Amino acid sequence: MKYYQPQSVNEAIEIAHSSQGMFLAGGTDLVLQMQKRKIQPKALIDLGRIPELRDIKETKEYIEIGSMATFSDMGQNQLIAEKAASLWLACQTMGSPQIRNQATIGGNLGNCSPAADGLPPLLALGAEAVLISGEGEKQMPLADLLEQTPLLSPGTLIVGFKIPKIYQLSGFAKLGRREALAIARLSVAVALELDGSKAGKVRVALGAVGRRAFLSDSLAQALSQREFNESWLELGISQVQGVVRAALGDRASAPYKRVAVAGVFREAIASLRQQGGLDK
Amino acid sequence: MKTDVVGSRVLREDSWGKVFGQTKFPADVNLPNQLYGVVVRSPHPHARILSINSEEAMKLAGVAAVLTAKDVPHNSHGVLFRDQPVIADYVRMVGDPVAVVGAETMEIAREAAERIRVDYEILPPIFDPEEAMKPEVPSLHPELQPTNVLYHLPIRRGSLEEGWVKSDVVVEQVYKTPHVDHAFLQPEAVLAYLDERGHMVVQTATQYAHYDRGEIAHALGFRYSQVQVKTLAVGGAFGGREDISLQIIAALLALKTQRAVKMENTREESFYSHSKRHPMTMYYKTGAARDGKLVALQAKIIGDAGAYASWSVNVLRKSAVHATGPYAIPNVEIDSFAVFTNNPFTGAMRGFGAAQTVLAYESQMDLLAKKLGISPLEIRLRNCFQVGSITATGQELTSSVPLDQCLAKIAPYFRSEVETL
Amino acid sequence: MITIEFSVNDKTYVLEVDPRERLLDVLRNRLGLMGTKEGCGEGECGACTVILDGKTVNSCLILAGQVHNSVITTIEGVGNRQSPHPVQKAFVEVGAVQCGFCTPGMVLSAKNLLDKNPHPSDEEIGVALSGNLCRCTGYDKILRAVKLAAEEGKQ
Repeated sequence: MKYYQPQSVNEAIEIAHSSQGMFLAGGTDLVLQMQKRKIQPKALIDLGRIPELRDIKETKEYIEIGSMATFSDMGQNQLIAEKAASLWLACQTMGSPQIRNQATIGGNLGNCSPAADGLPPLLALGAEAVLISGEGEKQMPLADLLEQTPLLSPGTLIVGFKIPKIYQLSGFAKLGRREALAIARLSVAVALELDGSKAGKVRVALGAVGRRAFLSDSLAQALSQREFNESWLELGISQVQGVVRAALGDRASAPYKRVAVAGVFREAIASLRQQGGLDK
Repeated sequence: MKTDVVGSRVLREDSWGKVFGQTKFPADVNLPNQLYGVVVRSPHPHARILSINSEEAMKLAGVAAVLTAKDVPHNSHGVLFRDQPVIADYVRMVGDPVAVVGAETMEIAREAAERIRVDYEILPPIFDPEEAMKPEVPSLHPELQPTNVLYHLPIRRGSLEEGWVKSDVVVEQVYKTPHVDHAFLQPEAVLAYLDERGHMVVQTATQYAHYDRGEIAHALGFRYSQVQVKTLAVGGAFGGREDISLQIIAALLALKTQRAVKMENTREESFYSHSKRHPMTMYYKTGAARDGKLVALQAKIIGDAGAYASWSVNVLRKSAVHATGPYAIPNVEIDSFAVFTNNPFTGAMRGFGAAQTVLAYESQMDLLAKKLGISPLEIRLRNCFQVGSITATGQELTSSVPLDQCLAKIAPYFRSEVETL
Repeated sequence: MITIEFSVNDKTYVLEVDPRERLLDVLRNRLGLMGTKEGCGEGECGACTVILDGKTVNSCLILAGQVHNSVITTIEGVGNRQSPHPVQKAFVEVGAVQCGFCTPGMVLSAKNLLDKNPHPSDEEIGVALSGNLCRCTGYDKILRAVKLAAEEGKQ
């Protein structure tokens, strides 16, 4: 197996083209798959030496996060805490300190586990994914990207994410078997615009209730442009239970998850209200 | 008597080595020119091995040996009965070792293990102990027992008939507990080699070095005095290191190849290979009089021994002895059973059979309290063992039974909602 | 094979490694640093914790190539009998050591916390150690030991 450490994005793309190699981000999933001989790459292209991929910055319209930003980088970042709270919250509970120090947001998308902690917040916040390949750079909504199979065509590098600064409030909650080191059994991310006391545009994304994290259109429709109060919350709970029921069908975990999601949704909303100072 | 130790705080001497990372665990010791051993394990719960083809494995450069059942001089071991094969030709559980590879590196050994082809005749497995104990079901160990009931302990005291007559309330329930793995933090590891005298030296983490020594000697056909077991830092055990794991296999490989042999389980292999806590099904019928006093207990406890006996007899004995909990009951019928199935074998684990019955007898107490309209604390105070109590096995407790004092101490901490449950 | 250069416990190494080798294997098999333990091999237990460029990581999930030009501290680089690190001293004094297999990882997670945050709250200690499992269930004493080490640091 060959091992490359390119110093720039362009170099990485060229190597990918010539070597048919796989990109290595933090490695917390890929190294394990290699160890179990489930994946045996011809070549690895380690992205850890490309500083620009690790940037977290604010532009006029976006919060931009490089694909090699670790969960610790994001979880300790003031900008993300203030402007992308849902993602910041997910970073606090993902894996363990050791995993958070190594695992990256780009790797989280690349591996694309059903329980990937970073994806529901990015979906709820309306993130655009920035991709680059031999054909050039392109930007597309993460929600659209997650509907593609395969997720990425060979040689495509995830450059990062652009989170539009539209949603003032966002929240996240996760249900695991224990507090730390727990893979999400269920996760809910919510983002909303406030329009006086009304909820403006609302987006809800769910994790670990299907093959991949997804954004629920029906929840967005039901919850947008309504008075933001207790009955809004109750409406959300009954709707989200319906979404989980439909998504899981008769899977073994369905009876548990469609009840549990009520509590997880409630917690996600509570985390959102807290940062908004809505609970006085 | 005053000493420097009893009654004073003593620092554990071994903790210094551990905080500096100097302490040697079996995975940490190696010898130059050692071979690495990897076990091939059965994916089937019940099967007969028809043939094993190791040609493709032996073709791999660096493979020194592939051993199967026929290479073991005396192919059995076990803490109570020698009912467990060192390398199986008849499989009774998923994870039974069917072959072992020795190679120059761990990578080669793993690669070679994947190339070994085992032809199994798959036999119908039995997983439900209550089904397995029926007389018409073939025994998994006919040499030990004609049926799958390895062990039955009946305990009788007083008259159950009388007990039910005196019972004003009766609670009847079934309780079930699952398999539990010890998950000790250090997976099994062994270094085995022949010393300059031709004696077998086995360095490992074990709870039971002198037993390991006997079983290694037996399987290899060595004299007891020709085997030396060195216990390195144990790395957690909790009962899971009472049975033989890799010790004999590593020693056998060292004997056959005349090389030092290192073996180390991955976590997954560890889960497949060592004992588990007994799952138990507990049928409980308990009666109490209106004054809150227990008067009758009928209990049937079925423990799943899995594929091999290990400590099942002792574990189910303890379950029976502890079946009443720390409560005096004059009329008792307890029957405990250990039953062979094709599930993972079960053995020692913290509590050793006493842990499972707690779920049953304490739940019964809560349910009885509810029926009687008294608090969960009160029903325990009225029935708990005291000096002079006689247990279900007829033992009179003569000293040190301060459960009532313990309950009195915790009484103020009971929240009212717990109190009334 | 690739060449990597890195520092372990203030010593620089230049090694030829197979790029599939894990950092854990390099430390144990190449450098003989056996204090780093493998408990699960999949980032669940934290027994293989080392400090990499100032952050705790699971060395079982990192490839050798990823640590090129990095600075690593293993348990062998933290204190010794003559001058134990306050965390090590506290672990012994409090009785936070049982089987000892999780201990090196626990000590490194605790040391790294105190390096960055000398006066952590109970919750911060809990979070910092949340990636290290102790199957002897000695958590209470482990938490107390880290607290004690922090208090000693104050004086």
